[in-house]
Amino acid sequence: MTDLDLREQTAVQSPDVRALELPVARTIRPVKRRLRFSDVFRDAPVVRVLAARDFKVKYKQSLLGPLWLIFQPLALLGAFLVAFRGLADVQSGVPYVVFALVGLTVWAFFQASMTMGTASLITNIMLVRFTPCPRFAFPLAAVIASLPALAVTGLAALIAAAVNGAVSPRVLLLPLGVVWLFFLTCGVVALVSSLTVRYRDTLSAMPFLLQVGLFLAPVGYPLAELSSTVRALVDLNPLTGLIEAWRWMVISGYSPSVEPVAISLVETGFLVAIGWLVFSRLETTMADEI
Amino acid sequence: MHESRDNGQRPVSVSSRGLTKRYHLGELHSLGRTVRHLLRRNGSADLPTLEALCGVDFTVQRADSFGIVGTNGSGKSTVLQILAGTILPTGGKMEVHGRVLPLLAVGTGFHPELTGTENVRLFAASLGIPRDVIESRMDAVAEFAELERHMDTPIKRFSSGMLSRLSFAIAMQFPADIYVFDEVLAVVDGEFQHRCLAEIRNLHAQGRTVIFVSHSLDQVAEVCQRVMWLDGGRVRELGPTDGVLDDYARAVAEH
Repeated sequence: MTDLDLREQTAVQSPDVRALELPVARTIRPVKRRLRFSDVFRDAPVVRVLAARDFKVKYKQSLLGPLWLIFQPLALLGAFLVAFRGLADVQSGVPYVVFALVGLTVWAFFQASMTMGTASLITNIMLVRFTPCPRFAFPLAAVIASLPALAVTGLAALIAAAVNGAVSPRVLLLPLGVVWLFFLTCGVVALVSSLTVRYRDTLSAMPFLLQVGLFLAPVGYPLAELSSTVRALVDLNPLTGLIEAWRWMVISGYSPSVEPVAISLVETGFLVAIGWLVFSRLETTMADEI
Repeated sequence: MHESRDNGQRPVSVSSRGLTKRYHLGELHSLGRTVRHLLRRNGSADLPTLEALCGVDFTVQRADSFGIVGTNGSGKSTVLQILAGTILPTGGKMEVHGRVLPLLAVGTGFHPELTGTENVRLFAASLGIPRDVIESRMDAVAEFAELERHMDTPIKRFSSGMLSRLSFAIAMQFPADIYVFDEVLAVVDGEFQHRCLAEIRNLHAQGRTVIFVSHSLDQVAEVCQRVMWLDGGRVRELGPTDGVLDDYARAVAEH
C-alpha cells in the first residue's frame, strides 16, 4: 500500500550517504481499493515484527510466561474430561483424550486468533492513524502470534496419540490441515477486524459467539451423539469439517463424516474471498473511521 | 525511472493537484444512521460535511525544505496524512516521488510493554525499513535520543520527553527521500529542539526533501525556504518563506 519499501536501498547504512536512489513515482488519488496480493509478500517483514510483538506482549510482566501456552488447553481438557466423562472411547479404538486434544488444538487456535484479531486494528489505533504501516499486517500478525500455541497443543495431541498407540500414518498430511486452519482463520479475522473499525458491535458479539461456537463444533463430543436437527446445524460450522479432517489425519482408525468436511472446504474458500474483499474495501478509509 | 520536472528545475518530490478532502461530521455509524442509510441508500447525505481541503495545488521539488502554516483546522495535517498514505483524498491527486518518512505525531506506534529497542524495531519496520538497516542504526538512534541506558526498559516507564526524543531519533536516523514533520517539536525541551532543528537542516543540506509543519513561525523560518499558507482548506499564499510568514503573521495579529 505504500512505497516506503527500502529493501533495495540496504546499501545505505546512514542518512549521511548522499547517493539517493531515484525513487519510483506513486500517485495518490481517490480509489475504492488499493491493497494488492503482492503487498502481503512485500510487507512480510512488518508482519513478522508485529507478530513477534503480539506474542511477546501477551506474556510480558507475567511470572509463568509462555507456560500459559500449555496450561490453557490442559485446563480445558480437564473440564472436558469432567463434562464428557461418559464418553470413554468415542469410536472403537479412539481414546477420548486424543480425540478431545485434537479438537482443542484446532479450537484454541481459532479462539485465540479471533480474540486478538477482532480488536487488532483498533488496539493499534495510533499506528493506523499516524503511520503508513500496512493495515492488513495487524490482523495477520494476530493470527501468526497464535501459531506457537498451536504448535504446543498440537504436539501435546500427537504425544497423547503416540502414547495410546493411535497415531495414523496420515499424520504426514497434517501440514495441509494447518494451512487449511490458517486460511480459514485469516479469512474470518480479516472480515471481523475490518468491520470492527466501523462497527464496534463485534467486540461485544465475539466472546458470546465464540462460546456458542465451542458448543456448536465437535470439539469435546463426537458428531454421532447429536440428534439430526442439531447435527445439521453443527455441520454448517466451518470448524466442524476442519476438526473432523484433523482427527482423520492424526488418529488411526478414525472415520470422519465426509459431508461437514466438504461443507467446510467450500465455506473456507468463501470466507477467505469475502474476508479479502471486505478488508481491502474498508482498508482505504480505516484512518478516517477508526 | 520516472523523473518529472517542473519548470525545468530540480525533479519533483511531491506535487498536489486539486486535492480535496471531505469529512462527515457527527457520529458516523450509529444504529439510526445505519438504518436510514439502508433505507435511503444515501445515509451520509444528511450528515453535515466539512471540506478540510478544497482544491489544494502545490509542488515541492527534490531537496526543497517546504513549510506549511495555517491556523487550526486549515488542512495542514490533512495534507501530510494524505502524503504519508494514511488517508486517501476525496478528489484530486498527489504524486509522490520517493520514500516518505512521516512523523505525524510523537510517540505513535509505540507499545508500552515493549522496550525501547523493540519499539524502534517495530516503528522502523512499520515504515518499511529493512531489518539490517534497522539493526545497523540502533545505536545511532539511542545516542541521538540520549537514551543509551534506557533502551532495554519497557517504554511505559519512559517520561513523555523520553518518548518524544525516541520518536525524533527514529525519524532522523533512518534513510528516506522525503521527511515529514507535523507539529512535533512543540513537546520537547529547548536544547533537544535545537538539536532536532539542526538535524532537520542537516537532512536538507544532504539533499533530502523536508516538509515541515509548525505553529512556531521561528522554527518554520529556521528550517524552510518556501512556505505554503493554508486557510480553510485553500492555499492563501505560497512562496519564499519571509514574504509568506510576514503576511501570515500580520493576518493572525489582525484577528
